[in-house]
Amino acid sequence: MGDRAIIGQYWPEESLVHAMDPRVKFLLSIVLMVAVFCAATPLALAVAALFIVGFYAAARIPLLRAVGAIGPLLILVVFTALLNVLFVQGGEIYFQWGIICISEKGLQSAVFIGCRLFLLLLGMSLLTLTTTTLDITAAFERLLMPLAKLGVPAHELGMILGIALRFLPQFMTELGIIYRAQISRGAHFNVNPFKGGVQTLTALMIPLFTSAFRHAETLSLAMEARCYHGGNGRTRLAPLRMTWRDAVGTGALALMLVAVIATNFIVL
Amino acid sequence: MRLAFEDVSYSYVDPSSRTRKKRRGKKDEKKADWGNAPDALWALRHVSFTVEPGEFLGIAGHTGSGKSTLIQHMNGLVHPTEGRVLADGEDLADKRVAHQVRQSVGLVFQYPENQLFANTVFDDVAFGPRNMKLPEDEVERRVRHGLELVGLDVDKLGERSPFDLSGGQQRRVAFAGVLAMEPSVLVLDEPVAGLDPLSRADFLQLIADLHAGGLTVVMVSHSMEDLAALSDRILVLSEGEVFALGTPAEVFADAPALKAIGLGAPAPQAFASLLREAGFALPRALYSEAALADDLAAQLGGVPASEGAGDAVLVDIVEAEGEGDVPSTDALEADHG
Repeated sequence: MGDRAIIGQYWPEESLVHAMDPRVKFLLSIVLMVAVFCAATPLALAVAALFIVGFYAAARIPLLRAVGAIGPLLILVVFTALLNVLFVQGGEIYFQWGIICISEKGLQSAVFIGCRLFLLLLGMSLLTLTTTTLDITAAFERLLMPLAKLGVPAHELGMILGIALRFLPQFMTELGIIYRAQISRGAHFNVNPFKGGVQTLTALMIPLFTSAFRHAETLSLAMEARCYHGGNGRTRLAPLRMTWRDAVGTGALALMLVAVIATNFIVL
Repeated sequence: MRLAFEDVSYSYVDPSSRTRKKRRGKKDEKKADWGNAPDALWALRHVSFTVEPGEFLGIAGHTGSGKSTLIQHMNGLVHPTEGRVLADGEDLADKRVAHQVRQSVGLVFQYPENQLFANTVFDDVAFGPRNMKLPEDEVERRVRHGLELVGLDVDKLGERSPFDLSGGQQRRVAFAGVLAMEPSVLVLDEPVAGLDPLSRADFLQLIADLHAGGLTVVMVSHSMEDLAALSDRILVLSEGEVFALGTPAEVFADAPALKAIGLGAPAPQAFASLLREAGFALPRALYSEAALADDLAAQLGGVPASEGAGDAVLVDIVEAEGEGDVPSTDALEADHG
């Protein structure tokens, strides 16, 4: 455990995309999502793909690595595609067996939806690949700020997100240790969860939960010891600043959105 | 059970994927891996030794020297990337062998109390025996025996939640959980880390008693004093390789070499070697505190405080930690007066 790439884990590099303001990146990734959803024809999707490949090049992240990192989520893509094959009907029928019917339209929409979802995942992971968790939380908190006036605890939400992200790898490691310790005591974890497997799962989950509580207590103590009292009047060591890169990024995304929508009207 | 390590090497990265990567192009090699790829490719390299039945083997090494990885090979949790680990001649790489061996090699992880999970102390200790599919009356006998070995009473604590107990008691319960499987080899990773001096001494005494009762013990520790006092042999790891293997006297003879790899000799031993440089004639190969005191007293014209101090080594450790400071402050004050 631990040596596997986690989905969208930060990829340290010095690039245009990395140096962008996390707030801008956050918003732009939403625009990116919209752009991919706007693509209604294969050609428009291809244009979107072209842009995303371009962004990866600008971020200097090897595309194959990124695809490998979202590997576990590809199951989702395949699953969605399969659903489309089975449920979208129309056009020529290639195969029929009972209620299972594979048609021309079904295949088309499966490939299309699959590609779209794949691009979406790729585009979204660009944000986490190029932004440290610390920056993401800061951006998240800053963007929620306007809502604070309505009573939304923006700072607290940001802090919770930051702490959760920070402790993920920690709990992965601890789970690994607990797993090995229980294996040493003769536990089998590859048993049917419906036949007594629940008992062995508690042997993993209970220690993990107690450790989570222990960490929470220590952490809150440590935060208090450093005079943490919420977000009021707290300043940042490295304030977020927008630069020309953010203008370039925004321009690129706007171009992408326009290009995708425009190609929607080109009928082959 | 005899555990033999034959030229064991272990790498976190599968070497076959490494060669594949190399074939694909040199570019990948220069690039940092996902996260912070460690420069050291090998956690263990060419490690060969045998754990003899009935012995007490101490394992020392600085942080990250591969100690924890090494002991996880002993019950097949981790398999060598190269080389073999044999338990009584059978290769642990075989899943069935590994499963069998887990019943006779009890591995106690660092801070084992963090692995408690059951509603009652009894159920937690019974987890191992139940996994061995033993009949319930045998399970009960083993739980009783396991708790007895660690000095806890099943009638008093059996029905309580393990989370209500004190830290020291929790560790005892976790210990009992492994002992209840009645292993013939006990592998301990830093068994006394984080305990107060008194429970620490109790625990070391418990381990010494278990060993005296016929158990083979492998103990990883950062405390050279504990290792020197308890071990028959000590294995010193440095950066994944065997740096030294021998009796405490042999291993601790070369204090400067140990210091070079981030370890030290036990305090009395280090002190003895300094005194030797200052001109004292100290003939023994390995000094415990009592032995050093006796030899020094003899040379300074005093009377040895205790004869046959060798048996009371553990008590000495407690005294050294519990009240070690007191005499020296007295001495200081006497100087000022």
